[in-house]
Amino acid sequence: MATYDSLFSALGLKEWCAEGKQDGPMSMADLLAKAKGDNAEPESLWDFPFPSMDVLNDSCAAFPQSRELTKGLEQGFLAVKDNLSLVLDPMTQPLSWALDGALYGMLTVPWWIIIPIMLAIVFLVTRSWKLVLFVAVSICLLAFVDYYEYAMQTLAIIFVCAFLCVLLGVPIGIAMSRSDTMQRLTIPILDMLQTLPPFVYLIPLIFLFSVTESKLYGIAIILYAIVPVVRLTNLGIRLVDKDVIEAADAFGMTPRQKLFKVQIPLALPNIMAGVNQTIMMSLAMVVIASLVSAPGLGVLVLRGIRNLELGVGLVSGLGIVILAVILDRVTKASLARINASQNQ
Amino acid sequence: MANDIKISIKNLYKIFGPTPDVALEYVKRGMNKADLQDKQNHVLGLRDINVDILDGKITVIMGLSGSGKSTLIRHLNRLIEPTAGEIRLDGKNVLELNEEQLRQLRREQMSMVFQKFALLPHKTVLENAGMALNIRGSDVTDFEQEAVKWLGRVGLEGNEQQYPHQLSGGMQQRVGIARALVSNSPVMLMDEAFSALDPLIRSDMQDLLLELQEELQKTIVFITHDLDEALKLSDHLVILKDGEVVQQGDPQDILLNPNDPYIVAFINDINRARVLRVRSIMKKHVDNDAEYAGDISERDNLETVLSRSGGDTDKVFRVVRKGEMVGSLCMKDLTRALVPTGVSTPNNHKG
Repeated sequence: MATYDSLFSALGLKEWCAEGKQDGPMSMADLLAKAKGDNAEPESLWDFPFPSMDVLNDSCAAFPQSRELTKGLEQGFLAVKDNLSLVLDPMTQPLSWALDGALYGMLTVPWWIIIPIMLAIVFLVTRSWKLVLFVAVSICLLAFVDYYEYAMQTLAIIFVCAFLCVLLGVPIGIAMSRSDTMQRLTIPILDMLQTLPPFVYLIPLIFLFSVTESKLYGIAIILYAIVPVVRLTNLGIRLVDKDVIEAADAFGMTPRQKLFKVQIPLALPNIMAGVNQTIMMSLAMVVIASLVSAPGLGVLVLRGIRNLELGVGLVSGLGIVILAVILDRVTKASLARINASQNQ
Repeated sequence: MANDIKISIKNLYKIFGPTPDVALEYVKRGMNKADLQDKQNHVLGLRDINVDILDGKITVIMGLSGSGKSTLIRHLNRLIEPTAGEIRLDGKNVLELNEEQLRQLRREQMSMVFQKFALLPHKTVLENAGMALNIRGSDVTDFEQEAVKWLGRVGLEGNEQQYPHQLSGGMQQRVGIARALVSNSPVMLMDEAFSALDPLIRSDMQDLLLELQEELQKTIVFITHDLDEALKLSDHLVILKDGEVVQQGDPQDILLNPNDPYIVAFINDINRARVLRVRSIMKKHVDNDAEYAGDISERDNLETVLSRSGGDTDKVFRVVRKGEMVGSLCMKDLTRALVPTGVSTPNNHKG
């Protein structure tokens, strides 16, 4: 006799309930209750249970238990999974190629070519010798403690993912800035991507793609890191000086000319701020993604946790901090350069 | 040619709000701006504007903020769409143009100068000046010569490679004017072009504009809230108040015969002697009979004449245009013209 028996009989559902009566697998809680032999009704109002799915199931066997819900979701997902991956697999295959290619390239080209190229890029975007020196010292330090390979793997993944984030995110941001409906539809998705714990979307991804494929962590990183660049592109374009836009209209610019000659250049400081955030978030995610086979410094952190190798964990953590500082300083310096050429 | 109508605005209405067509009916039946706002929740922008803008002249539209002058000028190139009425450029109705034709009109017929300059901050002065040509598809090498020429003309030689933020406000607006001139359009719209500049620079810019106008004879529509500026620049003055034209005509004429207390309040503050010119108050005749104290030009302002007369009100001057006598000016008439005017006082001064 359970608490809500009277409710079902009052509703005249007794027969329907009885139909569901069968000896299915018992839940752990049921087993425990049985073992204890405590099957009594609540003694006072104080113990009155909330009419949850499991409690209602006690009174009426036809009523689904809550584990049916999670099981249903799982089965539903598994049912569409094959069709879904039929579409998603070829679509995302280039991501695997890009990641594998970048990893291969970074590791096979000798260090005495990679490091100078990186320093040259740093100088090109920042024009600051101080920063070049800082980057050189940091990378040599990492290489000296034999973390060069891991650091380069992490960097390669970040470059590919951040590049794809910009490639996809900027057009989405532009579309949002042009249509209020698009903005209304996209913002909830962005909010969700930003608040959902990263572990949560690793789970369906594992089902969809094989853990051995690099696109699995690629997608996880892109989903997590694309948000700021989309948001700030949208914001940047919406914040472009109305007077300048009016002048562009008054001189007869087509919408296309307006976008490429006025809106994007003037929104560039904001877009670059978004790129900076995107790169930093890729770095955060690349560590978590080591759970699903992403190579790099994250693997060492994971080893530190799993094997309680304190030293390895600390040094690789420090390596991540160094990479973060490098990426942040370099993107911020190039952002400052853009800002300086634009202030009115 | 000089007095052909370039742009003609007829029965133009603009009402801001969700259902302007409904509100338009109320306005046409005579509802005023305040009632329209309270009862219909629509803002009356412009009411029944009729203005003819003459070819090759400077038409100044003057009014205080909120009088609808900026709204009006944006109707000419349809940055704002009217609720009702028509705008004709060279006889063609601008409102019937499709998107492509309108773009063509904005590129080739009308250029605009803005109060806040509205230059592209990421482009050099040279690229900004050539913006109109760049939009039409030419690149820097194509428009460089033209842009450098006009930049030199507005006094910006040697600044071509600088960025707008490196220039002062006055110089930025010179770039704005050069940009409009490079587009080589017959009509120039100037929306409070000098209002953001300090007084001395503003005066310089006004002189520059008049000097350029002497040579180029463009059709200029100039918006301002400053009466001194309006009187200095205008060939034709339109005074707006609450979206309606209060008075329009020759600025000297408006000064001598204001027809509205609003305008009287405006003109009481200005230095009449500096603004009024001899031609507006002289007696027109060619009889060379009397004794004249000297020759003055019809374009002189009264201040010049006053200082020449040394304050003697008995003197009579001969007025000449290009060496030929066109009339005379008695100092007594001059003094009378300096008396502040009330609304529609009968005017005895004009010959």
